[in-house]
Amino acid sequence: MSRLTRWLSPSTVVRAHCDLPCGIYDPEQARIEAESCYKIIEKYQANSDSTYRTRAIAIKEERAELVKHHLDVLWHDYFKPEHLEKVPKLHEMFWNATKQVSKVKASTDLADAKKLLDQIDEIDAAWKATGGAEKTRVVKQPA
Amino acid sequence: MRPAIEPGDWLLVDPRVRNWPAKGSVVVFHEPDTDELAIKRVTAGPRERVSFAEGYLVLGDDEAWLTADADSAATAELGFGQPRDSRNYGPVPIELLVGRAWFRYAPLGRFGRLRRR
Repeated sequence: MSRLTRWLSPSTVVRAHCDLPCGIYDPEQARIEAESCYKIIEKYQANSDSTYRTRAIAIKEERAELVKHHLDVLWHDYFKPEHLEKVPKLHEMFWNATKQVSKVKASTDLADAKKLLDQIDEIDAAWKATGGAEKTRVVKQPA
Repeated sequence: MRPAIEPGDWLLVDPRVRNWPAKGSVVVFHEPDTDELAIKRVTAGPRERVSFAEGYLVLGDDEAWLTADADSAATAELGFGQPRDSRNYGPVPIELLVGRAWFRYAPLGRFGRLRRR
């Protein structure tokens, strides 16, 4: 690079960001975090120690946020308009599930966490109906 | 930001903030969710109404709506997903704007003023 070019070259780089999707999607990620919420509520109810209970609530909050994140990624990045033909209630399913995550955040009722697991299973069925693991996972080596 | 800006373009940025963000201009700003410097076009300014999530929202007195020129087909061609802009992170507070990109001085084949839309 000549001295002039070096002198003229910009000192700051800015980016026009786009998502760079890896193409790996699986509702199992959301389910594992939702199972954590379920188990934490169980443990919360079985323990009366206030410090333990405070920690349990804080951890449930974190896990629930991860459920929401994983559901959002599936909703925004994996599912496409053409999938609505196979799953006409897709938006409603995600709307209800993400609302349920907010409920689980605020709740220590096991039934709320169970309902969330069931809703994620419905999303899992939609994922499978539209391609599932065959399209969005890397094949594991046989055991 | 294709076709207005291509990767590797060298741009002049005007840091004066009076009378802007003007709708249609290209601005450099700190992304609200990452704080990284990014470049997008102002598609709506303070107090304007924008479509959002099958409804609309009205921008505040100190907010702008910044979007990419490239559509998802153009970004897919380059191997990317959806453009990341106000449709992901919502309105951008004006205090995060750094300046208006107004002139491209390299490459020479694309030398000239950046047009507003």
